[in-house]
Amino acid sequence: MSTSTVSEWITEQREQRTLQDWIQDLGPFVMLFGLIITFSLTTDRFLTGGNLIDNVAKNAVTLLLVALAGTFPILQQSIDLSVESIVLLTGVVTVVLISKFGLGLLAIPIAIGVGMLAGLFNGVIFTKLKVPSFLVTLGTLSVMAGIGKIITGGSTITFRDPAVRVISNGEVLGIPNLVLWGLLIYAGTIVLAFRTKFGRYCFALGENERVVELAGAKVDRYKIYPFVLSGLLCGIAGVLLTLRISSASPNIGSGLMLPSIAAIVMGGTALTGGVGGPHRTILGVLVIAVLNNGMNLLGIDSFIQEIILGLVVVGAVALSIDRKKIDVVK
Amino acid sequence: MATQTHTNATDMDQADPIGGGHHSFRVEGISKSFRHVQALEDVSLAVDHGEVIGLVGENGAGKSTLLKILTGVLQADEGQLFVDGEAVTFKNPREAANYGVSLVHQEQDIITTMRGYENLYLGREIERFGVLEKEQMRKEAQAFVDDLGINIDMQEHVRDYTFNERQMLEIAKSFHVSKKSENPVILLDEPTAGLEESGRQILFDLVNDLRDRATFVFVSHELDEVLQISDRIYVLKDGERVDDTTAAEATTDSLQQAMVGRETADEYYRVPDQQRDTELGETTLTVDKAAHEDVVGPVSFSVREGEIFGIVGVEGSGKQRLGRLLAGDLDITQGSISVDGTTLHRPTVSDMVDAGVGYIPKDRKSEGLLLYQSVLVNTSLAMVRDMHGNVPLLDLDAEEEATLDAIEELSIKTPGPKALVHGLSGGNQQKVVIARWLAQETPVLVMDNVTRGIDVGAKEEVYRLCRELTDQGVSIVFIGDELPEVIGMSNRIAVMANGEFVGEAFDASLGNKPTEQELIQEMI
Repeated sequence: MSTSTVSEWITEQREQRTLQDWIQDLGPFVMLFGLIITFSLTTDRFLTGGNLIDNVAKNAVTLLLVALAGTFPILQQSIDLSVESIVLLTGVVTVVLISKFGLGLLAIPIAIGVGMLAGLFNGVIFTKLKVPSFLVTLGTLSVMAGIGKIITGGSTITFRDPAVRVISNGEVLGIPNLVLWGLLIYAGTIVLAFRTKFGRYCFALGENERVVELAGAKVDRYKIYPFVLSGLLCGIAGVLLTLRISSASPNIGSGLMLPSIAAIVMGGTALTGGVGGPHRTILGVLVIAVLNNGMNLLGIDSFIQEIILGLVVVGAVALSIDRKKIDVVK
Repeated sequence: MATQTHTNATDMDQADPIGGGHHSFRVEGISKSFRHVQALEDVSLAVDHGEVIGLVGENGAGKSTLLKILTGVLQADEGQLFVDGEAVTFKNPREAANYGVSLVHQEQDIITTMRGYENLYLGREIERFGVLEKEQMRKEAQAFVDDLGINIDMQEHVRDYTFNERQMLEIAKSFHVSKKSENPVILLDEPTAGLEESGRQILFDLVNDLRDRATFVFVSHELDEVLQISDRIYVLKDGERVDDTTAAEATTDSLQQAMVGRETADEYYRVPDQQRDTELGETTLTVDKAAHEDVVGPVSFSVREGEIFGIVGVEGSGKQRLGRLLAGDLDITQGSISVDGTTLHRPTVSDMVDAGVGYIPKDRKSEGLLLYQSVLVNTSLAMVRDMHGNVPLLDLDAEEEATLDAIEELSIKTPGPKALVHGLSGGNQQKVVIARWLAQETPVLVMDNVTRGIDVGAKEEVYRLCRELTDQGVSIVFIGDELPEVIGMSNRIAVMANGEFVGEAFDASLGNKPTEQELIQEMI
């Protein structure tokens, strides 16, 4: 058969704006406002300043950071599944450094450095040993969680250092520091994605690595960077999370991976890479944060919440995946 | 079944510009356009019983599209097919075969793990109660090929056949699928492409022997073969039928002339704009005994400013690998490459780009372009490498300016710099790949079949662009499969075989162009 007719057909399909395109562009907004309206009507407490700031926004920050972390590997068509373990590891390191070693503020850069090293390890194994990223990070998901749990000795460790805690718990003009950090980093990732060579290569690698290589880019390096960035952002998430509650339990961060991927995909970054970006990830994060909060307010059983969240994830991926770009699904 | 329109024979005689309604196969006013390209325009031809018709034209002239329409693979936008005076429409190859029209493919279309007779009956097996009648099929198949005078054993596996025997089987298959028809029309697409001299003779003898049992349409690049076998010859150029001649009247030169058109090859390739030896500048690229293991090379040559260095060779001669070697994509295990006086040992692609060598790969879709990214992203993909000053941010203005300049300079037809490359035509896509290197003023370009799969107009623009670039002192390594193109464009031409250059490079300066024959002799 003539390939030209086939490719022509595909082009025509692409040019038509399908229902799916609209779902991708407007879906998260519609979903977010739908949920907000629903919960406003069904609960008294949802639409109160206290709930929105103390519960929704604060809780959303950790998910936001982790989802932003995961966005860059996905943009370049790989994936980082180890995010929640990096949060655990760096959170535990933060607490131990403050409580046992008395390092105070110095604990923060060290913990973030540990996160970056973890990301570097993921990236190097993935790139240099050519192991698929989902396998590498599935492995390190387990490895790093194990290390973190060993450090805690299996029980929750705590610290007392109000001067450090204020970084996460203070507020400026009534807005919690935690939320400000989240917004600052959010803005930073947008600059990274759209104004730097790193961001440009992320998109380009997600589409066709070979083309980028022949254009003279040092491809391996730019395949590793997203994982280091992921480690950095997860490190920040781990630090802020533990400073907020001034403790680290052996299971902090657990359960973040699935909603973070859901948020990324819902935001419009396709698992097939090359399209989307961190600017939209926040929409998915808000949808999930509002959903969680609303279900809690409604008193829905936490096991049922798990089921609903899982369904939302699969549904979001099914609706937003760019089928036109995929020939075979395995 | 095919839809049929019964047309009165006398009406047809009047409507028929070619004459008589008694042609076994007739095509009238066929037009076909794809998205951006008019592939065929108002093409008519007629084939009589027992004739062998030659069909020639350059790549992209529309031969393949015409064959696909004749066999129902594609449908014409306009025009009508007639078989024995009856207007017919073929929706698929099976309907075409029912009317006796079938195609012997360029790439052999048989399953090598099956036996000869199984291939012959493929899709039309004889069964009884759902069980294959193998013995009956084998016997009938053998009788069938024996009757055609084809000497092959149908019991054998096709993988044990020679190339020639496989082709015989294909021809037998064509007769077999069209056995319902009194006068089969068999279209042979480049049938001699993979054949040795002796094989060609066997094929020609067979075609001659079967003349009274079928009509053959013979499509080939080899003009002397077409002249040898055909009674009449049609010439296609840019989708139009430009000549209809008897083989007795035609010569290879006259056919060549018709294929290329009024315009001489010199004008087409802008040979007068070619840099003269005296105008060439310093040596920019020196390749010193460079080799990749024992696959390519060692190869040595140098290219000067403003020079186009052509490289030709048969498939598998290593010319494509040499391109990759120059791009830094294939490891240089021995020797070295110097660009503007800087010598590089085992360079990476990144090193070569730093040194000033831009590579334009043969397959632009898989290696040249980010199809679902914008023209801007594709154009600036190489120039963003150097965008790391004091602030590590992209210079969006510079990118946009470079892209707009490229769109203007290369006359890229795009809705705008933000449009996706995917929506552009092949020619415009290729210009985007070239634009990537122009945007950062790369002094040496390595082009592998830069005009592959683009239409004639876009080709001419690429040739013009190459001339302008060399005028500005850019050096081009021009690797190509199309000999006339490489001859037309190059200042010197090296012939590759078995990974190495054969002898010295040909001088192809103005007025000293080698002929295709001279190159071919070295190639094989």
